[in-house]
This record gives sequence, C-alpha cells and structure tokens, in this order.
Amino acid sequence: MTIKLANTPLIETERLNLRAPHAGDVDAALDFLVSDRARFIGGPYTRDGAWRNMGNLIGHWVMRGYGLFVVTEKGSDHPLGGIGPWYPESWTDREIGWSMWSPEAEGKGYAFEAAQAARAYAYDNLGWTTAISYIDPENERSIALAMRMGCTLDEGFPYPDLDGWEGTLVFRHPSAGVPA
Amino acid sequence: MTELAIPVLETERLVLRGPEPEDYPDFKATFTSYRARFMGGPLNAYESWMLYAAEIGHWAIRGYGMWMIHDRKTDETYGMAGAWKPAKWPEAEIAWVIWPGAEGRGYALEATHAARAHYYKNGWDGAVSYIDPKNLASIRLAERLGAKRDKQAATIDGSDSVFRHPSPAALDNTQLSDGIEMEIRHYADPLFKPEGWALD
Repeated sequence: MTIKLANTPLIETERLNLRAPHAGDVDAALDFLVSDRARFIGGPYTRDGAWRNMGNLIGHWVMRGYGLFVVTEKGSDHPLGGIGPWYPESWTDREIGWSMWSPEAEGKGYAFEAAQAARAYAYDNLGWTTAISYIDPENERSIALAMRMGCTLDEGFPYPDLDGWEGTLVFRHPSAGVPA
Repeated sequence: MTELAIPVLETERLVLRGPEPEDYPDFKATFTSYRARFMGGPLNAYESWMLYAAEIGHWAIRGYGMWMIHDRKTDETYGMAGAWKPAKWPEAEIAWVIWPGAEGRGYALEATHAARAHYYKNGWDGAVSYIDPKNLASIRLAERLGAKRDKQAATIDGSDSVFRHPSPAALDNTQLSDGIEMEIRHYADPLFKPEGWALD
C-alpha cells in the first residue's frame, strides 16, 4: 500500500525544486534531526522523536493545506532541507521555517533561494499578508538568512509558550507587496 | 485540499476514515486529558497537535496507520483504531483509543477487529499491542480480541507489556472469531442492555 499526499504544489526556482515531503525523505530527515545540526530546532532528537517529526511534517500539509516543502536540486529527488510555511497549534503567528539537512547543501545560497520562493508562495497563494520566523539567538546562520530576506527583529512579539523556547528571537518578514 | 488517499472501512455501526483536520478537537480533548496517561500524555496543546499531524504522516510513511472511528449515522467520532509503528516500535502494533464517554458500547472492539482484519487481508501475518500494565481496560480488550501476553517479545522501553494477536489462520472462521463477532453483535443489538461493569 502506498499512500501519498495529493494536490500538493511544486515550486520551481532557478536551481531548485520545492515539493511536498514523502516517505522517501525520512532517512535524510532523520540523519539531520538526530545530529548536532538540529540543536537550534529542539534537537538533537531521538530516532523515535525524529521519526514523529517527519510524520508531523507530512501531517501539517493535511491539517493546514500547506506545510514545509522539501528542497531538492533540479534533476534530483534527494532532499536537502525543509523550507516553507509552518503554523502548528500554539504558534503565535504564521511562520516561514527553514532547515538545511546536510552540510553539503550549505554555502550555495540554496536556503535563501528556497525561502524566498516559499515566502512568495505564502503571500501569493495562501493569502498571508505577513510572516515571522522563530530563531534561536545562537543560530547565527539562520539570523543571517533572516536579515538577507529583509526581516527585522520583532522585539516583544510573543513566541510559543513552550519548554526550551525562552529567549527565542522573532523575526518579522517584510509584508506582502513590500519589496524585500 | 491537500489530502492522503486512506482506505475507508465500514462495520455494522461504524465508519473508519483517515484522521481529518475537523476531527482534531476530539483528539485533542482526549490527549490533553488524564485519559491519555497510558498513551504518553496528558499532552500540551502543541504536543497534541503535532501528534495528530504525526498520526496523519504515519500513513504516508508506512502506508498504514490509525483510523478515526465515526458513527455510521451521526458521523460523531468515538476514538481511533488501526496500526502504529513509529521508529522505536519493535513490531507493528494494533492500537486503539476510545474517547471517554464512548466507552461501554463495544466500539473499540468492533473497530479494532475490523482494522486487524483489514491488515491481515493485506498480507500481515501477525501483530502485537504494547500496553501499559496498569491500563486494565486495554488489557481486557486485547484479551477479548484473542491476544495473549508475550513475555519473550521485545518491549518499547521496558515499561510496557506486549500482547500478541492471534495469527490470521486462528481468526479464519474459528471459534475465536465467532466469539468476537457474537460479542460485537450483542453490543449492536438495540434490545441488548448490558448491566454491570462497562468494558469499552
């Protein structure tokens, strides 16, 4: 029995495809989530916790009708990361989230290219007028990406009231229709 | 709408469908309550939402998963039943949860019996259920389904008991399967008004 997400969009950028997650992405996602690279997003996770994370990454699409896109290079189905609109219960605003899963995917501007496309999708297709990104204050690479995307620190804006989230930074994206 | 093509099962009183976004409040009510104490809960709102999303994603990753149990007539939900195998599970599990308030009417038995039959028809040659040893209602249901404690089987984390379900052959037109179906028919019979301790 193969069960797949239906009616999910595909976004193409110059170098990348953004597609819905599928079962074949699990191994790459798990390798990332159990590694130290996941330290700024609540990890490193146990294998079981990571597996469930992959499950809710897919389930988010059904719950909300959108979710994190899996980023691949054009011509490849190998997942490089998860980037896109993210809005689980307890979130204080709609988020553009990103994580690049393997170090080889870094340093090429892929996260920037994909996050821009994902934000444009949220604004143009989902009707979002604004978005935030929650970032760990020690996650310098993510902060740099947020700045590059034109985000500004939204000081005092609440973050989810959850264990381990104390001190999380909230970056506010330029509003829909405003050039970044 | 983004969706998964999850099979639908029908029984005499119930329809089992994949977990849908509009069913989430019912799931949350149970999983954020003390009712969830044997299922890793009670959970906070975020954990509950993420677990529900993972219930959905489980179908996409494994090709099988947990159904939402609906009343055939009213569409009201009563709980969930089906299969569950996150990364840490030694074997595929037949699992169930019944909302408080929907107990005592045999819905868990009827739904789980149908779910197990579906997986057996689709090539499974057995299954287990991992149950907290203090969860007496679930242990009783496992035994009514013909499952037996398997002390040799690997547990999830040492704090759970493993109940092994009868093989497909042991449920193929046997006294065991007749007994399960007779019990379900009793619950479904409008003239059957059981007294005493509700099972589930």
